[in-house]
Amino acid sequence: MTSLQVRGVRKHYGETHALRGLNLDALAGEVLGIAGPNGAGKSTFVRILGGEETPDAGEILLDGVPFTLADRRGSVAIVHQEPQLFPNLTVTENLLLKRGSDGPMRPRATGRERQVLSELNLQRVADRPLESCSLVVWQLTEIARALLRDARLFLFDEPNSALADEESEQLFGHILRMREQTNRIVIIVSHRLRELVHYCDRVAVVREGECGAILAGPALTEEGLARELVVGQQPGTVETGKSGAPGAQRGDEVLLRLAGWTHRRRRFQDVEVELRPGDILTVMGVEGSGARELLQSIAGLEPAHGIREVAGRRDAQAIDAFLAYVPADRRTGLFPNFSIAANLTARLGVPAVASRWGRLLKSRLYALGRQLMGQFQIRARSPGQPVGTLSGGNQQKVAVGSASAKKPRLVVIEEPTRGVDLGTKAEIYHQLRQFAREGNAVLAFCTEVPEVFDLGQRVRVMSRGHLSDPFEVASAGSVQDLAGQLAKMTGAAPKASPG
Amino acid sequence: MATGPDRDAEAGAVPAKDARRLLGKRSAARLNVLRGIFLRRLSGLIAAIVLTMIVFTAINSFFLTYVNLIGLVRSMSTFTIIAFGETLVLVSGELDLSVGATYGIAAMTFGLLWMHGTPFVLALAAGLGIGVLIGLINAWITTVVRVPSFITTLGMLSLVQGVTFLISNSQSINPPSKLPGFGVFEALGGLEFPFRIPIQIAWLAAVAAIIAFVLHRTLFGFRLAAIGGNPQAARVAALPIRRYKLWVFAIAGACAALAGILDFSFIGSTTPSAGANLTFPVFAAVIIGGASLSGGRGTVLGTLIGAFFLSLLSNGLSLLGVGAFAQLIFVGLVTIGAVALDRWTTTWGGETQSIQL
Repeated sequence: MTSLQVRGVRKHYGETHALRGLNLDALAGEVLGIAGPNGAGKSTFVRILGGEETPDAGEILLDGVPFTLADRRGSVAIVHQEPQLFPNLTVTENLLLKRGSDGPMRPRATGRERQVLSELNLQRVADRPLESCSLVVWQLTEIARALLRDARLFLFDEPNSALADEESEQLFGHILRMREQTNRIVIIVSHRLRELVHYCDRVAVVREGECGAILAGPALTEEGLARELVVGQQPGTVETGKSGAPGAQRGDEVLLRLAGWTHRRRRFQDVEVELRPGDILTVMGVEGSGARELLQSIAGLEPAHGIREVAGRRDAQAIDAFLAYVPADRRTGLFPNFSIAANLTARLGVPAVASRWGRLLKSRLYALGRQLMGQFQIRARSPGQPVGTLSGGNQQKVAVGSASAKKPRLVVIEEPTRGVDLGTKAEIYHQLRQFAREGNAVLAFCTEVPEVFDLGQRVRVMSRGHLSDPFEVASAGSVQDLAGQLAKMTGAAPKASPG
Repeated sequence: MATGPDRDAEAGAVPAKDARRLLGKRSAARLNVLRGIFLRRLSGLIAAIVLTMIVFTAINSFFLTYVNLIGLVRSMSTFTIIAFGETLVLVSGELDLSVGATYGIAAMTFGLLWMHGTPFVLALAAGLGIGVLIGLINAWITTVVRVPSFITTLGMLSLVQGVTFLISNSQSINPPSKLPGFGVFEALGGLEFPFRIPIQIAWLAAVAAIIAFVLHRTLFGFRLAAIGGNPQAARVAALPIRRYKLWVFAIAGACAALAGILDFSFIGSTTPSAGANLTFPVFAAVIIGGASLSGGRGTVLGTLIGAFFLSLLSNGLSLLGVGAFAQLIFVGLVTIGAVALDRWTTTWGGETQSIQL
């Protein structure tokens, strides 16, 4: 039976030690999970296994034989957090790219590709260019490519971070089926404890570049994992997940009012929403439900019509002044050519970072950037550091920080903690709650029930373009309760009422 | 995700005293190191310039004389003025290929109106105005109709050239000296200050100062780099993308028109095809100077040094008696080589991208 052994692997970048002697064993026939806080070295490990990096020390053995760099490039299939595909090609063409020699003619899909496409329910979009497809299709295409390759080692790096529940169940169905083949090793790197517990036989917790613990059998529970993940973190930085109820009185002022709000291409219809100071409303929905488009349309990035009042006003200036939107994808929210300080202050203008005549005040910009770095607990050496050198979690904090820097009354945020470790999640939830407590409102789109449980006061479910009645998160006793309630709401007949 | 290799910014833009106050002495020292990284980029170019100068001087001693160097800077001043405008356009993430044609039509419009009885000042304003107008049309088509600026300005290049030939009846013009305002006209591009400094150098310095201030010291320049660096994020941040691009294309048009009129004055005549050869030196200067074609990156100092390097090569090669065709080949090779070398040395130094601010 195939086995993979990782022995004392080390890797450092400058002064940062990403891996400090990692030991790990994986066997065919099982699904090995890898969990760990951000910056623990998971991504580095994935890159090393994929042959994108060479370790400084240590060895990797496959069936007891050194697994060389060239071997790894050929026989490791990595399904990435962010798909690395060709947006200008169709889904099918993306699958055909690496197939090898088919002669000089343009390759065509054969039975095997068609079979994988249908297994992943991709037939409908098979001939559409990837750029016109949703993120889910990108992920599934990436997975299809890995399935088609006869690889020995399948590594799923946050494969379902952008997938809604039913789609990720489908995906994990495929992963479990892969386990049945005795020559394949399957590893899942994820932040989602529920899935790790549910689908993995063993879960290794990576902490500070080492394997901190391995949980299996009865010890493998969400609580157990959560406890292992926060080992070594200073107390006070992790706020325990509690539902809702920020301390502020709910004000009378209406910060956001939507009435008859309808997407131009009918992604959602007749949405009614009312948000007051202190409100945190989460909207849940699967990909394609229209929830994402709803948030984008409120920010003016998707075409929609109806009534949209921000702080009682309907004009574009009011939206600019009072509303800040944070996209789900950090690549669309940050400026890669800017430093951290410049990113944090990019939405500001006169008088915050410029004089009345438009002269840029760099000292103020840096002072402000530094202050925001402290407020949002962004861990970096200096405000002048390029934003691209930060870890994903810290980048997300920069995105949230830059949105709140202009002191809006309403923050509209998609997937506030996508691809972010537990400690950072708690910090971001804390920031959003604090923001609401100060007399503002938050509208968040979430795909995970625990996030709704941690963040929300009230939740509404978007299904097929209709928004459900609000549900008080506090009335659910546990995440499981909430999940059950939300599942019921998804099936319920759509009704429109102000939230 | 690991913090990755040390790739700190060239945060050199922060004045040292502010930096020290804000970050404490140790961090300020770090900033100085980072500024060093930025200077290393330019210092490569400067080293190449010095080396070239030594070689040329060794072969022909006339090269390193005051007269020759002043003439060299004068000859680069007009295309460099256009290159400054183009630097703004590139930082905003767009391209303007029509600047050469704008250069030609501005001079022609001004000259024709003036020679047909329009008061000098009005004609001059019309010449500059047509540059701004072409820029505004470019910006409108690019941002509102959403035709990529490469195509918009490529079309505009041909369109404007055609119009120039039409209005001039494909004849060169030669304003007679008895025209009212001829003295001022002659002085615009032909005046000489003490120490034989031509007025064109003063124009160059003035435009460089203005554009450098706008790009590096204003909110406008800051946001422009944001818009060019990531247009999607700029949309999310609700930055005034359309308005800013309108300004940028208008400024580029105005720079091209100014350059056209200055050369018209210096030469004393203009032809319908004037400016047709400018696209290469303008873009080469901007790119050698370190601006990125994908937007968000570019400096006025870089463009200036890039332009100086190009002119130096042409001037030196002429002095050596190298033929015009061989010069074209050589300058083309050097342009590609300069950017390749820059790529290689910066990647090798662990610095893969420069950071604004």
